[in-house]
Amino acid sequence: MNNTLLELRNISYKYKNNLILNDINLKINPGEKIALLGKSGSGKTTLISVLNGTIKPTHGEVKLFNKSFDELNRNQKRRITTIWQDLRLIEDLSAEQNVNCGLLAENNFYFAFKNLLNTSSFKKAHKYMQLCRLHNSIYDKKISKLSGGQKQRVAIARSLIQESNILLADEPFNNLDPKLITTIKNLLLENVDKNNQKKSSKTTLVALHRLDLLNDFDKVIGIKDGRISFNIKRTNLKKLHLDKIY
Amino acid sequence: MNKLKLNYTSLSFLPILVCIPLGYQFITNIHFGGLKLFQEFLISAFNPKIDNEIIITVINRLNETILIGFFSWLVSIIFGTIFGILSSNIFYKIFNIPNFFYYIIRFFLTIIRSIHEVLWGILLMQIYGINFSIGIIAICIPYIAINSKVFAEQLETIDYKSIESINQINAPKFSSLLTLIWNPIINTFKNFGLYRLECSIRSTVILGIFGIGGIGTSIYLSLQTLNFREFWTYLWSLAILIILSGLIFKKIKFNNTNKILSIFFTAVFLITILFSFSYCLYFLFNKNFENFNSVSSLFKSSSDLGLFDFLKLILETIILSLLSTGIAISVPPLLIGIFNDNTSKIFIKIFAFLLRLIPTPVILLTLLTFNNPSLSIAALTLGLHNAGITSKLLFTNLDSQDKRNYIAMRSLGISKKTSWLLGLFSQQAKSYLSYCAYRSDIIIRETAIVGVIGSVGLGWQLQESLSSFAWQEVTIVLIAYSSIAIVGELINGKIKNSLT
Repeated sequence: MNNTLLELRNISYKYKNNLILNDINLKINPGEKIALLGKSGSGKTTLISVLNGTIKPTHGEVKLFNKSFDELNRNQKRRITTIWQDLRLIEDLSAEQNVNCGLLAENNFYFAFKNLLNTSSFKKAHKYMQLCRLHNSIYDKKISKLSGGQKQRVAIARSLIQESNILLADEPFNNLDPKLITTIKNLLLENVDKNNQKKSSKTTLVALHRLDLLNDFDKVIGIKDGRISFNIKRTNLKKLHLDKIY
Repeated sequence: MNKLKLNYTSLSFLPILVCIPLGYQFITNIHFGGLKLFQEFLISAFNPKIDNEIIITVINRLNETILIGFFSWLVSIIFGTIFGILSSNIFYKIFNIPNFFYYIIRFFLTIIRSIHEVLWGILLMQIYGINFSIGIIAICIPYIAINSKVFAEQLETIDYKSIESINQINAPKFSSLLTLIWNPIINTFKNFGLYRLECSIRSTVILGIFGIGGIGTSIYLSLQTLNFREFWTYLWSLAILIILSGLIFKKIKFNNTNKILSIFFTAVFLITILFSFSYCLYFLFNKNFENFNSVSSLFKSSSDLGLFDFLKLILETIILSLLSTGIAISVPPLLIGIFNDNTSKIFIKIFAFLLRLIPTPVILLTLLTFNNPSLSIAALTLGLHNAGITSKLLFTNLDSQDKRNYIAMRSLGISKKTSWLLGLFSQQAKSYLSYCAYRSDIIIRETAIVGVIGSVGLGWQLQESLSSFAWQEVTIVLIAYSSIAIVGELINGKIKNSLT
């Protein structure tokens, strides 16, 4: 039986005559913690956008749970969440309203309306905001009033609250101090649930630049000029691998 | 020889050149027969008629005006929001609907918007007769389209990445749409909604002049009977209403997270939609067409309008728009620049308020007491009325501007006028011109009002064609009006884009 959770087959993506991704083949298994390395502009963000279905590849096939994206129902699509490099928060809404947006998929229209009127429950949102070390004084502040690090953690909390099986994160440690980086890394890789219990079933792919953060990952994928340069176990990572991509 | 270099500041003053041909035609058309009347008109401003009878009339007429204005505002702001959402690209992106529908709706709204409410009013009055609800419908039709444009423009400023992000959460489509548009809609309503209520009341007054009822009708009747003291009673009471409403609007603060208020607004929203639909159905199926037997007659009835005459009318309308825009742009900075001491500023502000307050047909009729009907008098009327509006904006911006440059220039011994021009106005010129570009859209639409009364351009032709039930001519004139307004809007859109 095929155990693969996410699969890319011969993926290429062209944008304005530039080949951003070139013949990518990749299999991601349940529970894997993958670090995605590569220089800026190497195609990491595009690869994440292909993986979460935001952009359709020019060529090739993306399979999630052995189905193409178009065949997935809303519940299946909900099982994948993304922390974007540019955060993509809704500037007009408060921090807690933004985090609650992560719950829109599992709730009805009335919940969305109550969220906007500030009458919905923010209990779950506050729980995840606390996990991300966000102080309660910023809960009701508009995104535009927050610092870069606070915004970064709101975006992370919004993704975590979805409790999805697959987490894709594009440079999630930007704007964070070293202590927070450790906290957030633990959250992303260990999937701490509501009761602070560790779960292991979560699949995580994180695009990052800092090599000192690689130690908790199972696999490392190196990408250069839109091609996968290596896809190896972290324990096998050597300097020569890094020389290939940097 | 040095080349003439145009900048935003000089471009704000240059249109004053339109005053040369205008002034010439104005002076040559003066007749002294009505000067005494004009003098009496001015004196009456300080001696309005005040007795029990007129006070009761004023209250009744103002009530009618407020009711028509309020209901047309309510319906147009609610449907404007709905059509604003339907004509913004965010709706199509979230629901994955082909862009074809987006362009269809936008085109349809542009046409509706291009025809002034007075034209809708005259047209509907000819078809259905004079009726209280005609006023509301006539205002609502273009206002829904105008409001929808404003809401759509605001919704299109939503970052595309936010749409992508919320789509990726895979929330139900309506939840995603509501989450993204809620605050932009509320903010637009806060900034723009109450201003539109003031516009609605002004439009009700103008439609009143054309017979819809309310204070406008009383103003017009008192002017026709040369009862100037009564005229000024109505006008001053209208001024008090507008000043009071302005003060109240300033005090109103919306709290979009207040639960009770939100439930109230939602209820008003739903009831208005329900009522509007029911009323539309009633109106369509229970009203007798008084002068309009079938829509097909629009195309069957003959037209005596020659091509040359028609083109001449179109040209007149375009010239009228250009001349009026020239006055509206250049007169406010010129007056404020020349007379920039505090006392003069107060007088300019009062004068500008009066120009805004007095409906254009009334300004025109007053000027016609000592001048023959001509294109220049119509352009002067429209230009001065709009100068009253542009000067309000200019004063507001100048008053709130950082004055350090001005103070620095004055400390160097530079004259007051030059310091004002280079230290204050030059920093406002770009945004001022951008607003004037938007204003010229409105001026093009308003040529219809002065056209009808001042015997100029297509407005006059429309009045003639409607009076003789020449429906084909009416259609042609409306298409021409619409085309001019759409082309004007496209050109102004380009100008606005280049200025922002």
